[in-house]
Amino acid sequence: MKKTLYKFFLIFFVLFQFETIAEEKNYYKELITDWSRIFPDQNRNAAGPKFFKYIIDKEITYEDFVEFNKLYCAVSGSLINPNSEPDFLFANESNTNKKICGDYYKCCIPCSCDIMKYSEVEKMKYKFIDGLQEFYVFTIKNPCNKKDFPNRVNKNYFCDGVKINNNQVYSLNGRIVIGLLHNGRSCRKDDIDFVKTHQVTGRFCELRNNTPLENLEGGMGDIFIKLAK
Amino acid sequence: MKSRLSNFLKKIIILLILIIPNIVNADFFEDITDKIIDNPKRLSYGISVTDMDKDGKYEFIVTGFGYSNLALSYRDGNLINIADQDIFSDELRKSIGVAACDVDKDGYEEIYFLNTDTYSGTKKYSDRLIDLEGNKFLDMFEIDTNKEDLNLTAGRSVACVDRKGNGEYGLYVSNYGGPTRFYEIEDKIIKDKSANLNLDNITGGRAVVSGHILTDRSDIFAANERGANFLLKNNDGVFEDVAFDYRVDDVIQNGRGTALADIMYRGRLDIISGNWQGYHRAYVLKNDQFKDIGNNKFDKPSRIRTIISADFDNDGYDEVFMNNIAEPNKLFKIIENGRFEEIKLEIALEPDGYGTGAAVADIDNDGILELLVSRGESKEQPLTLYKAKVSKQSKYLRIKPINKYGAPARGATVTLLTNQRKHSKTIDAGSGYLCQMEPVAHYGIRKNENDFKVEVRWTNGTKDLIKITKLDQTVIIKQK
Repeated sequence: MKKTLYKFFLIFFVLFQFETIAEEKNYYKELITDWSRIFPDQNRNAAGPKFFKYIIDKEITYEDFVEFNKLYCAVSGSLINPNSEPDFLFANESNTNKKICGDYYKCCIPCSCDIMKYSEVEKMKYKFIDGLQEFYVFTIKNPCNKKDFPNRVNKNYFCDGVKINNNQVYSLNGRIVIGLLHNGRSCRKDDIDFVKTHQVTGRFCELRNNTPLENLEGGMGDIFIKLAK
Repeated sequence: MKSRLSNFLKKIIILLILIIPNIVNADFFEDITDKIIDNPKRLSYGISVTDMDKDGKYEFIVTGFGYSNLALSYRDGNLINIADQDIFSDELRKSIGVAACDVDKDGYEEIYFLNTDTYSGTKKYSDRLIDLEGNKFLDMFEIDTNKEDLNLTAGRSVACVDRKGNGEYGLYVSNYGGPTRFYEIEDKIIKDKSANLNLDNITGGRAVVSGHILTDRSDIFAANERGANFLLKNNDGVFEDVAFDYRVDDVIQNGRGTALADIMYRGRLDIISGNWQGYHRAYVLKNDQFKDIGNNKFDKPSRIRTIISADFDNDGYDEVFMNNIAEPNKLFKIIENGRFEEIKLEIALEPDGYGTGAAVADIDNDGILELLVSRGESKEQPLTLYKAKVSKQSKYLRIKPINKYGAPARGATVTLLTNQRKHSKTIDAGSGYLCQMEPVAHYGIRKNENDFKVEVRWTNGTKDLIKITKLDQTVIIKQK
């Protein structure tokens, strides 16, 4: 009994002392601190790819990579508050056209619709400081030769002439990576049913995705769509 | 059996002794608000500390937002308002920021009241620059020749900047939704020189501080809202914004309380910058860039207003007081190597306080700082006054640098050199959000500390070194 009590106090003491000195990594603060480095002209419209490139260029672990990628919206380029809940959704895989399901961290619900309709996913391999990992990323096709490149997006962030600017964004198989699909995997039938019947990814997205571009108001409006379609 | 139990209990007691000091903190402050005579509920904002009536003692100058500006003087053991002239009290205008410095080189600190009757953009009433002639206060902006450059833009803070290092103070007025102003007297006329000095930027100006941040002259750090902060490097009296290069632009946060503090006790001023519901920064200069070293208790977002760095309890380590609005205040002690240790408050916590400003001064001249907190904005509340509970054995040293015109050398840096530390403090130029501290470097003395010397770096960069032979005194050091 005494031994147990003694151990309890010892553990309590150690934990308490540890709590006072432990410093958790603050990924959100790091993005806020470096925001003007990521967006020197302060234009983050549709600039999810800038965040992705900034994060993957860091010397970090896979866990850090995943955590950082929860904190920005791949569609709008907005920061997302920590502890936000993702939407479960799917997008088509580029080569196979298979539906890949996973979690998407968004700044607002229209972005979930836009990413489902206008992006594709690809499997990517990358060596982090703690080893090689495989995961799914959202991609859009090269927008650099578009005549209607949206004027509210900084084209220099994405393009070097008609080529993708690999100093600014990360490309995979000729497409621009815009963000991470968290916990990505091949969809099961019940996953697809869930997404299609969900009030956001189902009903709301059906309405949004059938609205003419010029009438779109929520999310990034038509900026991301013009970039990605 | 008995002795085993006794051994066991001893171990438990030792463990508890180790744990309990971390859990329970005795009250750091005592509440001495009752020393303020006639302290009604009101809307107060910024506070400055200056000798308003030329009696050789400081007063707390407290702004009123649609209420009278006050000058709280320590008399017969109490703080009493001695402002009795309408031009000073100015109840009709809504004053928010305040700073005092000698702009006309007569040794008396004029008082700049920044009035703001609108949130942003054009305002109705201009600011006042109060001078004392004989026994009469006058507003220098009401003199006909000074009316050309009135500030009619909403603003927040104002700071004194001796940009040329010659004792001719200018006033940096941090405006909101209109260009920053920089007033100086030239040919006896108050002129806005912001355009000539690269200062006329339009932003959401909030806080501004000035001192030896980067150069041997008065540099400026301005914490802004809805835009990047400015770090204005003084290049022979003209300014260059280097906030991005030095990594203090913090562009998507909204600046508020700001203070210059020697966070590492290494003999230089670094920057503490609070952000409204954002991460508070403890910027320490390293290899030509500021690095934020605040820990996750210090940086925790809050509804921050004024931030003060001062040694309240005379233990030789500075505390950082964070005045929050409609949220509890916070206090941290900066221990060695820039570590912030939270001191749990009960007195001065003010969980229901609508804090709008705060300032420190040893107003009763006993060697311990008093902390005056102003409150208001969306709820009328009285002022509050606190003082740290200080050990009777504690000692202090106060250094009061006076410039060649006989005025407080705002923007000068005092460094205490001892066997234990090299500790710099700024002579506060204002206005780490609306407020300005007493123009004295106040040091508590550490245990077993000796070999005291003080270096004053004046606003022109020259230095004087003085040996200190006696503690528990205020040393006045005059610029040669």
